Amino acid sequence: MNFMVTIIEQGLIYGILALGVYITYKVLDFPDLTVDGSFPLGAAVTAALITRGMNPYLTLLVSFASGALAGICTGLIHVKGKVRDLLSGIIMMTALWSVNLYIAGTSNVPLFSQKTIFKNKLMDGMVPKSLRPYSTLILILVLVMICKVLLDLYLKTKSGYLLRAVGDNEALVTALAKDQGNVKILGLSLANGLVAMAGSIFAQEERVFEISMGTGAIVIGLASVIIGTSLFRKMTVFKATTAVLIGSIIYKACVAIALKNFEPNAMKLITAVLFLIILIFSMERKGGAKKHA
Amino acid sequence: MKRRVTAGLLTAAMMTMMLTGCAGSSGDKKESGKESYTIGIEQFAEHGSLDNCREGVLKGLESEGIVEGENLTIDYKNAAADMGTAGQISDSFVSDGVDMICAIATPAAQSAYNVAMDAEIPVIYTAVTDPVEAELADADGNAVGEVTGTSDKLPIKAQLEMIRNLLPNAKKIGIMYTTSEANSVSAIEEYKKLAGDYEFAIVEKGITATADIPLATDELLGEVDCITNLTDNTVVSSLATILEKAGEKKIPVFGSEIEQVKLGCLAAEGIDYISLGEQTGKMAAKVLKGEKKASEMKYEIITEPGFYVNTKVAENLGVEVPEELAKNAVESFHEISAE
Repeated sequence: MNFMVTIIEQGLIYGILALGVYITYKVLDFPDLTVDGSFPLGAAVTAALITRGMNPYLTLLVSFASGALAGICTGLIHVKGKVRDLLSGIIMMTALWSVNLYIAGTSNVPLFSQKTIFKNKLMDGMVPKSLRPYSTLILILVLVMICKVLLDLYLKTKSGYLLRAVGDNEALVTALAKDQGNVKILGLSLANGLVAMAGSIFAQEERVFEISMGTGAIVIGLASVIIGTSLFRKMTVFKATTAVLIGSIIYKACVAIALKNFEPNAMKLITAVLFLIILIFSMERKGGAKKHA
Repeated sequence: MKRRVTAGLLTAAMMTMMLTGCAGSSGDKKESGKESYTIGIEQFAEHGSLDNCREGVLKGLESEGIVEGENLTIDYKNAAADMGTAGQISDSFVSDGVDMICAIATPAAQSAYNVAMDAEIPVIYTAVTDPVEAELADADGNAVGEVTGTSDKLPIKAQLEMIRNLLPNAKKIGIMYTTSEANSVSAIEEYKKLAGDYEFAIVEKGITATADIPLATDELLGEVDCITNLTDNTVVSSLATILEKAGEKKIPVFGSEIEQVKLGCLAAEGIDYISLGEQTGKMAAKVLKGEKKASEMKYEIITEPGFYVNTKVAENLGVEVPEELAKNAVESFHEISAE
């Protein structure tokens, strides 16, 4: 059963990343590639701070702040520099590679001998022995729920509504006498803050920072968002944020199946095929779309 | 709506597939008696040298009487250079209850040790350049837990000495490396430290991706008398580009292992990854047989680097290989193999 636990653990960690991608891709309608840089940014910040003796729980907040800063930069490049959305993300992603190397000091920082949010005296004292094997999962679940609930609440505030309006109807925002550029920057910073925090949690769970860990992060994030939202589109019981988290777990399950049952070289192909099957079967009938057009 | 139901069913089917996968493997385990072993091999990426390591490990085990198909079951997984996948592989090995995890390359070793340490499954690694830096061994080379293996640290001193012997008048050695590869960065540091002893200066060019290589090569070739390679994955994968450009300018390129010399590097004092793997396989056999615990063994390095030379390349470049050196070559190649 250990195997299932891993899928859910990893799915939930990447789920926080997917929540960030959900804000940019679904809510803001902004294809943000900063993610490939901000995910390892959170991990780099965490590695640098933990090895210098900072409380691991605090690193979560600091990495969120670092990611938010990266998001603000992407937003400024796009809004103030009038650079296309896709390109702004690419520019930041590229720059962050070097920034991450500077922050971490090297491309690989092991954290085996350090305290992490999962391994410290407080955790050992608090969790009863019988639950020990699940302590990682429980903590991740708690963190994910905090992120999800806060995000849900935020999206219901005035500022949250504006965020959604920018994605749906930019004219409305201007009509409300609000600057849509600022709203975009806010959304990007929130999204990348979440992504960086996911990076921080991932680095602490794997007990290592590795510069290449962000490569392809945006792909995983997008896949999770799309799987989640299209599978649960009609089930209004689930909030979009819940759907995204489940989507992320399903993505990790696809990888797990490919790993388990097929030869190594076929892994990516099988993952892609599984992904495609889910998408095709969860899609609306094409007839419906045509009527609108 | 129908489609949605189908999608749900499919998801359910996938879950079952996963569960049966689990059940199947634990079933296999029960059948195997005490004299047979299961090893999970976790390789970080698809790469020639790393494949050679894996081949070597199996050879090493075989020489100790542990033969795949007879008393050994191998479960081989490749993480395709993704940390998340590496984590999933490590976890699946632990939940399958393998007798040992054999990890190839640093990130795989770290990921395997991260989960295996709680499950008390020994980890044997190979192709980890600096186990101390990776926190898999303490400063004295002792294992930090049930984890040990072999390092593919380059014999840099021997390499510099060899270059000096082949090119008595050279002054500057160019090295290209990927800034994201910790192994390369630490090797560069050592090159810089030792170069002075042989009256060389090191010119380094850091790159971030394969796409940077043609430009970086051109720049480097304008500044140096020769180039030497590390075991840098990105650079070695594009060796053909570098060799072609260097060949046009008649600038010698030195390799760091046998495969590179085969492909057209002038010479190398390097490691043979198959024999490194063999050495690792023998260590693994000791642990499996219960002769020694992984925690009782220091990590090992290849003590005697081998000299490899390509006489065809030497002829093309007009470089004279001293008789004495040529005689000691572990292997000489007389042609440039295309691949």
